[in-house]
Amino acid sequence: MNREIKDVKHKGRVYQTGIYLGKFFRMFVFQSDWKVMPMAAVIAGLVGLVMSGTLFKTMEGTLTGSFALSCICVWNGFFNSIQNVCRERAIVKREHRSGVHISSYITAHTIYQAFLCLLQTIITLVVLSRMGVAFPADKGGIVLPNFYLDIGLTIFLTTFAADMLSLLVSSFVRNTTTAMTVMPFLLIFQLVFSGGFFSLPDSVLGLTNLTITKWSLTATCAQGRYNELPMTSLWVSMKKMGSAEVTGEQMKEYLMTSPDIVENPEVAVAILAIPDDAVFNLGDMLAVIEANNGAYEIEMKSGELNYTAKYASDPAIVKNSWSMLGFEILAYIAIATAALEFIDKDKR
Amino acid sequence: MFDIMSDPVGSLITELINCVAWMFLFKKCGLKWWQSFVPVLNNYYKGLCANRKKEGKIMAVLEAIMLILEIPILIGQTSESVPTPVLLMCILVFMICFIMLLVYDIRMSIALCEVFGRSKKWLWLWIPFDSLTAAWWGLSKKFVPNRLATDKEEEAELSGIEAAASGEGLTVNINERTAKTAFQTNVLLKDIHMTIPKGHMVLLLGGSGAGKTTYLNAVTGYEKADAVITLNGVNIYEEYNSIKYELGFVPQQELMRGNDTVLKTLSDAAEIRLPASMTRKEKDARVMEVLEAFGLAMLSGTMVEKLSGGQKKRLSIALEFISDPNLFILDEPDSGLDGVVARSLFEKLRAIADEGKIVIVITHTPDRVIDLFDDVIVLAKDSTRTGRLAFYGPVSTAKRFFARGTMEAVLRTINQKEEGGEGRADEFIARFSHVIRLMEEGKSCDEAVNEVLASEREVAAS
Repeated sequence: MNREIKDVKHKGRVYQTGIYLGKFFRMFVFQSDWKVMPMAAVIAGLVGLVMSGTLFKTMEGTLTGSFALSCICVWNGFFNSIQNVCRERAIVKREHRSGVHISSYITAHTIYQAFLCLLQTIITLVVLSRMGVAFPADKGGIVLPNFYLDIGLTIFLTTFAADMLSLLVSSFVRNTTTAMTVMPFLLIFQLVFSGGFFSLPDSVLGLTNLTITKWSLTATCAQGRYNELPMTSLWVSMKKMGSAEVTGEQMKEYLMTSPDIVENPEVAVAILAIPDDAVFNLGDMLAVIEANNGAYEIEMKSGELNYTAKYASDPAIVKNSWSMLGFEILAYIAIATAALEFIDKDKR
Repeated sequence: MFDIMSDPVGSLITELINCVAWMFLFKKCGLKWWQSFVPVLNNYYKGLCANRKKEGKIMAVLEAIMLILEIPILIGQTSESVPTPVLLMCILVFMICFIMLLVYDIRMSIALCEVFGRSKKWLWLWIPFDSLTAAWWGLSKKFVPNRLATDKEEEAELSGIEAAASGEGLTVNINERTAKTAFQTNVLLKDIHMTIPKGHMVLLLGGSGAGKTTYLNAVTGYEKADAVITLNGVNIYEEYNSIKYELGFVPQQELMRGNDTVLKTLSDAAEIRLPASMTRKEKDARVMEVLEAFGLAMLSGTMVEKLSGGQKKRLSIALEFISDPNLFILDEPDSGLDGVVARSLFEKLRAIADEGKIVIVITHTPDRVIDLFDDVIVLAKDSTRTGRLAFYGPVSTAKRFFARGTMEAVLRTINQKEEGGEGRADEFIARFSHVIRLMEEGKSCDEAVNEVLASEREVAAS
């Protein structure tokens, strides 16, 4: 009898993964799991509505827009699976006791969630494109030849990493209430410690490496060719001061301190000829510059002077960001599996 | 709070005064005076005084955390060697612990008022002047606790006789099942020995907290005990990975995914639980067989969430039955079912037992189906709150053993007085240990019970 029982083999991990995948895809088709798709479209649409004018057009717009893009990915990922495990924890415990491998269960979730994240990535890209976001597709991708594949991979990895983080939380907590209480804290951590959008003290900069948003923001800015874009904030600030007036004396005093002008006698003579009591309107001067296409030049120069090395359109930077996201995904999956292995210890 | 952190000497003096003040109260509650001076643990002892062991433990843990956190906080305040975020985190956790400690302190004070039979108005004195009040209550003869921290009854007599391992059926030899915490070890079950033959349907009876679920978890190997459990000669603990397919445990709640069909739920279970050597055709046949057996064939395409309570229960049982287990355990399968449906469910279980399986059932309404059971296991809390075996044997013998006509009356007899029972658990535990000794000599349970009852009558008459 003893030998008989020992000799009986049951279906292994791969087969069990297949069984769970079947379950999850049935739920996607027949139940409400597909609802995360329109939700992703709505969120992408809202961001597109606000950011389409500046995303991938200016430095500031790209930074803000990339941050917003990272946030919607994290949001989508979090909502995909924050309740998935904890809402059926007792069922998983029962199934584990009857022979289910936790690794199969988590692997099935991982594959299924990857499918959801892929669909959400496509939806996000399509919606943003339709909303008029100026993707620099003509320049190609930084790592992959196609820009959409390039940025699509970043969006996918960001969503998937957030998804796996919420799966990890869902594997730890015992009920959906706790999961939904923990989620906002995680979200705030992801937003505040993204490292690119908010100025953080040096002592906490190390924490930014733990976030998904940092790597997502870095990759998106690099792929959006952040450093090749104009910086508009200086020009915008100057235009805000359009009503300001400058006297001839003030102008001479300021301009004659510039070595470029002092070393150029012709220009210097012309400036010195300005009467001291002449009054110049800044708005008028900016209008002249704008009419001669000088505004763009100023914005481009401003951008050039604000070069940010971490967002350089360098394949190594994008690859590093992808690797970090990939590492986080693997770590979250491993911890979730390990945490759920102790499900039998749950009190009734 | 921060004064304490910045002035360790002052805080030490305050702590000493507090310990001296509590010393008298500890003595009055039956503890040793020096226990008041044991850092951190004195919170646990306060919990013992207040009959709030759990709260005492939590307070001790909180204080331990606060003590540990004080180190980086003190260092951080005097030098820059502690990084700001770490310091902030320590202060945050410290404050959370401090607030929790305050709340638990209030709970503890209320409990002390209860133990000393005093009004909760004393709380107004306890909260601001904890040490002063503790000294007052400790020194004044007017304050007497209605229970001592050391109050502990003697445990009921042990049988200590192990059931002989049988090649067939379920042999249970639980010496002890304990739950260890940082502070103590609680004995949940003790001295439970029995052999349940194949084909028997057994009722598991016991009041709340008697250890029914703990017993089942120990038997199935879900939570291991100091025990040897064999099913048809196979040691469950040693061969758990192989034998788990021979165990069918139906939980009280219907733990199934509502958003799948009955057929898919059952066939997925079949894929996981049935041997890999079985062909798809054989597995499908088994699924259909079980669907028919549990009256679910017509519902195979129905979503689980659309099923009625009785249908869900049948599906839950079918999930376990699919692998044809030799040991079938059901935790309140009739909860939420009306009498007629429950009866038909138990008749189905009887039929399973008649196929040579062992069926163990917990139910809170045993009397309406008691005729279907062969045996009854009665677990009871003894005076040390440990789950003990008060009886195991045929139902008719149980009625004579307890001198009660129904199982509900049996339960009332053994339940503790605070639970509305007669509090006679120890008496029956001791009586059953005599029965076991006689059974060890080769007598049947019925004969042994008769003999014990007769000898008790003789003693009473003389």
